[in-house]
Amino acid sequence: MNNIFILRKDIDPWIKRMAEERTVFAPVHEGDAVVYRACDSGLRVELDTMPTTSPKEIVFPQNETLLTYTRGSGNEDGSVGVETTETLPSGKAVIFGTRPCGARGLLIFDQVYNNERIRDAYYAARRENTLTITIACNRPRPTCFCNSVGGAPDDSKGSDIMLYPLDDGFVAEALTSGGEELLALAPSSPAGEKAVKAKAKAGQAIETMGSPMDLSEVRKKFDLCFTDLAFWEKHSGKCLSCGICTYLCPTCYCFNITDEGSEEKGKRLRSWDNCMSFNFTAEASGHNPRSAKAMRLRNRIGHKFVYYPELHEDRLACCGCGRCITACPSSVDIRNIVKAVQEYSHE
Amino acid sequence: MPPSNDLKDGGELRIIGFLCNWCSYSGADAAGVARLEQPTDLRIIRTPCTGRIDPLFILRALINGADGVLVSGCHPGDCHYVEGNFHARRRLETLKRILPISGIDPERFKYTWVSASESGRWQETVREFTAKIHALGPAPRMTDVVSRSKDLSLEGLLLQDENGGA
Amino acid sequence: MNVLETMKKCIREALPDLDMVMGWEQGFDTLHATPLFMETAEDVDRLILGPTCVQSLAVHLPSLKGKKIGVVVKGCDSRAVVQLLSENLLNRENLVIFGFGCDGVVSLSRLKKKLGALDFIESAEKKDDRLCIEINGEQQDLPFDDICAPKCLTCSRPNAIISDHFAGPQRTPRIPAKGKTALEKFEEKSLPERFDFWKAQMQRCVRCYACRDSCPMCVCRDHCVAVSRNPHFVSQEATASENFMFQLIHVMHLAGRCVSCGECERACPMDIPLGLLRAKSTEVTSALFNQEAGLDQEAVLPLLSFNIEEETIEEHD
Repeated sequence: MNNIFILRKDIDPWIKRMAEERTVFAPVHEGDAVVYRACDSGLRVELDTMPTTSPKEIVFPQNETLLTYTRGSGNEDGSVGVETTETLPSGKAVIFGTRPCGARGLLIFDQVYNNERIRDAYYAARRENTLTITIACNRPRPTCFCNSVGGAPDDSKGSDIMLYPLDDGFVAEALTSGGEELLALAPSSPAGEKAVKAKAKAGQAIETMGSPMDLSEVRKKFDLCFTDLAFWEKHSGKCLSCGICTYLCPTCYCFNITDEGSEEKGKRLRSWDNCMSFNFTAEASGHNPRSAKAMRLRNRIGHKFVYYPELHEDRLACCGCGRCITACPSSVDIRNIVKAVQEYSHE
Repeated sequence: MPPSNDLKDGGELRIIGFLCNWCSYSGADAAGVARLEQPTDLRIIRTPCTGRIDPLFILRALINGADGVLVSGCHPGDCHYVEGNFHARRRLETLKRILPISGIDPERFKYTWVSASESGRWQETVREFTAKIHALGPAPRMTDVVSRSKDLSLEGLLLQDENGGA
Repeated sequence: MNVLETMKKCIREALPDLDMVMGWEQGFDTLHATPLFMETAEDVDRLILGPTCVQSLAVHLPSLKGKKIGVVVKGCDSRAVVQLLSENLLNRENLVIFGFGCDGVVSLSRLKKKLGALDFIESAEKKDDRLCIEINGEQQDLPFDDICAPKCLTCSRPNAIISDHFAGPQRTPRIPAKGKTALEKFEEKSLPERFDFWKAQMQRCVRCYACRDSCPMCVCRDHCVAVSRNPHFVSQEATASENFMFQLIHVMHLAGRCVSCGECERACPMDIPLGLLRAKSTEVTSALFNQEAGLDQEAVLPLLSFNIEEETIEEHD
């Protein structure tokens, strides 16, 4: 595909043109956080640092209304009917300025919600109408570990357009026909030699990351340490059981369903759930199979590095973005825990 | 669950009353029996005691769109449970003084004491509070239709902490 | 012997009689400390004390009830311990408190606003009243007051107010700088402006509950009313009004109990200025009940007590 060059000052007009047809979600500053917001123009888009939140919220919002209900009129036999209306999302969107790890996160989602076996209508309606424009990382953060989980700072998998940053602009490459259509809207010039330079720069970024973690034994060792609660208590001691790591994670896809409203009318809501919270597995009987945070942290590690790979052709459910590390109030470092599992031995 | 808008069609606003069973609810009842005319914006919820009224009831009502909340119980010293309203007084006063930081007008919340025999006082209280709420108009709502993007006004509101201060 | 070495010595001596001692060690970079749970003498070697030791370790104490625990505390952390003791949530005899004089801690949020993203920190060191940072290959030298936690600017109790061992010298309390506090500045806004401010802030909240879970006084832990379905105070919707409802629950449940440690605001990944709500609540309860939380082990919670005649509450007609 052709490479073109887009000046930094032309990003805003480009977003504005894309926004005529689609909702463009791009990272903007709010406080010291960087969050995805629907943009047309006028919002200062932040393209030089990894956003605080992950792009998953665009295809899998924190709250999704599945249906609305109203109480119907009473029947002769005394029963009361309920009228429900399905609320499928509509409209087209663009995720602008995610990093390769964010795009990878969406592929991890697809395995669960939209594939040959399962098609979640709500997820699919958003995902199939969303295009992803990804910025390659020239300088991975010290907390980045995409190279350990199958990704790379210049990984283009899952993206419709790749942007390779240079000082004054971006070399852009469309990877899909949808991407080509969007790229045609950008004020641009031919990339020429800049393309080679920009891609080489992004390609070299992986060398600054240090060697990938050895995860070869994790699945085997996880089985061994599963019942060693002292091991998990040690590693979860400082965890606060809050939801930062799961809510900011590009790959955490668990949800909860609740009916919100009154007996007269309301909605059925699907909301992000958080496996670090007590309520995640609390049962109606009062029993909770994961009553301690050690068990919950164990589950989080197990899900990402053991259970998901077993179901999905050895792919990990972690994209290595490091958000859970940087945002954790206690600075719990998932890399250390995975490493401890890999190196686990009895006694 | 936000209440329906029907009430507003008649020019009424939404005022929620939390009344203790023993004094104010009886006082309100007596006012009704005596046919003391009152505005009809107030919707009364009977509670065993003002001590049962969690400040969260009041906050939930205000955030769900109540234009005013009125709490009334036995006069201090006359509580059916001896000290319920002494506890309530501290909680309600604390809430009333904290409310302004949230941007919710503290005038929208009133607590008072009306005994079972004070039907005239009840009428007066309802008339005055309803008039005040009408003067304030419908409460601003933290409605959620605003797109998550349109936070431009935020910029000017963000606190500059140049001079520090906790 | 410097403060750190004195502290390590104290801990090593006490450790044999304890299940563990909580302190801090360096996290993934020099700006991030992470809690360190010391069980062996070797663990103690990793202890650090300094401007990055932000976490209030008191938050872990109630869940460790029944064990013999040591905890390292700054002045502000020690107030949380005192408050927990006054609420009968800890056994004093099972607790060994290692205090020191705190020199202030860094606010990463304020630092980010000064320097931008903090991804590439090579070193960070406090030198007198400045913080020297090497970031993105450049040396930055910042007045500490510009980047410290807001609570440190007005800190009247830098020294642990309760301790069994105290390492190093006592620090002199701060004389609050002139000028308005953030709360005073915020209160210059009209009520509608404040409401709109919170509306914008609350739209950003993801309801991760880090503010709650990092709060040493939020002791309901797994049984918080905000996640209860019956009563159902808050819905699952992470909308501005539901998020705000939760924040106001937090404020009311901390009224008269908040020790102003600022952990809620620090923990927030979305940089929501929750400290404003806390500051107001503290101002109100101090004025009403002439009592500050976390100073007196024998104190009774103001909202669990009353006077028949309340001098500070105007009688309502």
